[in-house]
Amino acid sequence: MTADSDPAPPGATADAAPTPPPDAAVLAKGHLHPAILLLRLLDALRQTAVPLLLGIAVNRWFLVLAIVLFVVHLGYSLARYLTLEYTLTAQELRVREGLLERQERRIPLDRIQDLGFESTILRRVLGLTVVLVETASGRGVEARLDALSRSDADHLREILLAARQQLVTVGPSAAPAGEPAATAPAPTPGPEWLVHRSTTSDLLLRGLTDLRLSAFVVTGFAALQLADQIGFAVQLKGVARSFRDWLAQFSPLLLALLLLAMLLAIVGLGVLTTTLGNLVQFHGFVLTLRGEVLQRRFGLLTTRQKTLPRARIQRVTIEQPWLRRLLGLAAVKADSAGASRSEGTDTTGGWDVVVPLARLPMADAVLPALLPGLERATFGWQRGSRRLILRTTAQGVLIAALLVPLCWQAMDQWALLLLLVVPLWALLGLLVWHNLGFALGQDFFALQHGVVGRYLAYVPTAKVQAVVVHQGPIAQLLGLAELTVYVAGGSPTRLPDLTLEDARRVAAELGHLASAAAALDW
Amino acid sequence: MSDRQTPHERLQPRVVAYWILADGFGAFVVTSLAWFVGRPLLAQHWDAWSPTLEQVLLGLCIGLVALATLTPPLTYARWRYAYVGDLLLMRYGILFVEERAVPVKRMQHIDLVRGPIERLFGLATLVVYTAGNEGSAFRVPGLKAGRAQELRDLIVQARGDGRL
Repeated sequence: MTADSDPAPPGATADAAPTPPPDAAVLAKGHLHPAILLLRLLDALRQTAVPLLLGIAVNRWFLVLAIVLFVVHLGYSLARYLTLEYTLTAQELRVREGLLERQERRIPLDRIQDLGFESTILRRVLGLTVVLVETASGRGVEARLDALSRSDADHLREILLAARQQLVTVGPSAAPAGEPAATAPAPTPGPEWLVHRSTTSDLLLRGLTDLRLSAFVVTGFAALQLADQIGFAVQLKGVARSFRDWLAQFSPLLLALLLLAMLLAIVGLGVLTTTLGNLVQFHGFVLTLRGEVLQRRFGLLTTRQKTLPRARIQRVTIEQPWLRRLLGLAAVKADSAGASRSEGTDTTGGWDVVVPLARLPMADAVLPALLPGLERATFGWQRGSRRLILRTTAQGVLIAALLVPLCWQAMDQWALLLLLVVPLWALLGLLVWHNLGFALGQDFFALQHGVVGRYLAYVPTAKVQAVVVHQGPIAQLLGLAELTVYVAGGSPTRLPDLTLEDARRVAAELGHLASAAAALDW
Repeated sequence: MSDRQTPHERLQPRVVAYWILADGFGAFVVTSLAWFVGRPLLAQHWDAWSPTLEQVLLGLCIGLVALATLTPPLTYARWRYAYVGDLLLMRYGILFVEERAVPVKRMQHIDLVRGPIERLFGLATLVVYTAGNEGSAFRVPGLKAGRAQELRDLIVQARGDGRL
C-alpha cells in the first residue's frame, strides 16, 4: 500500500500515462456515492417493518427489537460506506472495506474478464450504478461496488479500458502467435460502432418462442404420472374425487370445454409472463463495439451495461431450439471465462446473451464482430459417422430388452408396445446424424448439433484448454468416439459420434493449435 | 495430422498391488459386513429369507471381491501416458476409454499427491489443472515418486515463465 499516501484526485490522469511499470500511479480513487445511504435507509426501514407492526399491534417489546435491528442495519451500512474505498492503478484494481474485519482485494487488470453495470429503478432515479467486476475464478462476480454515481462508474470504466489496453499492447508478454485478436488494437478506445440493436418485435418473439414454458407443462404432466404410479397420489385422490363429483354435474362436453379453457388459460398466462419478462429484461438491447471491447446495454426497470473484451470470448453459440428454428430465428450467446452455464439456460441474468433474438442471417452477420477473423476463415464442414444411427438403435434395443420383461407382468402383451423404442431411437439417431457437423479451421473450431433444434458453436482454437476423446462400450464396438473440447468458460463442448480416426485427428490438431497459441490469454 | 504420437509409457506395475489393496480393502470390508453381520440379521428378522437369497448374497459378495481384484490388472494394462513436446497425453479405461490431451501451456498448476498407502509403495499421483470450470483436473496415477517429480519439473520447465 504505497499508493495510499499519494493524494491523487480522482481522474487526474485519465489516459495520459504512457509508463505502465510504476505500480504507484493511481489512476482513479473513490468511495461509494453518498446517495446509497438513502437506499440503505429504505432497506433498514423495510427490514424493521414487521417488528414495528408487531410492536404497535401486539407487544411493546417488539419496538425495542425494531429499533435494535434498525440501528444495527444502518450502522453496518454506514460503516461499510465509510470504509469502502477503491483504487485503480495501472496494474490493478484495489477494493478496501471493513471496519473490524478489514479486507483488501486486489485484482490485476489483465485478469478482469468483464465489467458490468447494473442499476435498479431506484438507483436510476438517484443516478447510481452497481459496478460488477468479474474474473475467471468461476465464481462470477469478484467485486461488487454498490453503488457509484453514474459519472464515476463511466469514468472508472474508461480508465480501466485504457489501462488494460496499454497492458495488453505494451504488457509483459509478446504478441500471441495464433491469437486472432492481435490485429493492431487502437491505443485509445475509438468510436463506438453499433453491432446489433433489438427491436421490440424481436423481444416479443423471444418471449413467444420461449420453450421453457412448454417444458414446464410437459414436466408437470410427467410429475403427475409419476406420482400416480408411485401411489403418492392416494391422498390426492380423495380431493380429486370430491372435485370429480362436483364436475360430474356438468355435461361431458361442457367439462371438456372447461378443462380446455383452463389449460389454455395456464399456457396463455405463462406465455404472457415470459413475454413480459423478456421485454422488461432486454428492453432496448444494444450491442456495440469500441476498440476491442464489446458493450451491451439493456433493461427496462433494471438497466444493465456490460463490457466484454473480444479477446476474452471463449465460445460463441447460435442457439435455435426447434420452434425458433422453424421460424428462422436465432439467439446468440458468448461465453467468457468466469461465467459458467450449461447449454440452453440463462443463468446469469442474461449476461451471456449477445443477441436476444434475430433472424438467422442477422445473427450470423454479428459473428465477425465477436470473433474477428471468422469472416476470413474457411470451414471444410464434415459430418459425424453414420454409424451413430447404429449406436442409438443398439441403445434402443438394449432399453427395450430391459423394459419389456420388466413390464410384462403388469401389462401383459401391451408391454410389446415398448418395442417401439427401437424405431424411435433409430429415428433419433437419424435426426442427430442429420444435424451433426464439425469443421476445424486454423483459428476456429466449429460444431453444429441438435436433434430437432440446431446449435452452432464456434470455439477459437487458441482458447482450448484440453481435449478428450471418450469411448463408451457400444461406441468401442462400432469404432465411434466422442470428442470433448474444454475451454475456460462455460460447459465443455461435446462432439459425439465421430469415427475414432476423425476424433483422434481433430483432437491432435486442436491440441497442437492450442499449444502453439500464446499461453497468456484465456 | 497423423504425426501425433500415441502415449506409450506404462505405469509402475506396483500400482496393481496398490489398487488391489486400496480398492480390495473397501470391497473386503463391505462384503464381510454383509456376510458376517447382515446375513445373520436378515435370517433372524426377515421371514422371507431363504437359501436362494443367501446364495444370491454370496454371489454378490464374491462378484464384488472378484471385481475389485480383477479390474486393477486390466486398468493397468490399458493405462498409457506420455509427455510429448507440448502435450501431456493419457489414454485409459476398460469399458469407457478416454484419451486426453492437455497442452502444457494451458496448465494452471500441478499437484503431486501421495497417500499413505501410495507412499508405502513408493508411488505418486500427478494431478494437472487447467482453467476450465468443469472437469479441469487431470490425474496420472501410479507413477514412481521420482518419475512424477521429474515429470512435474519437466512441465514447469517447459512453461518456463514461472507462471505455473
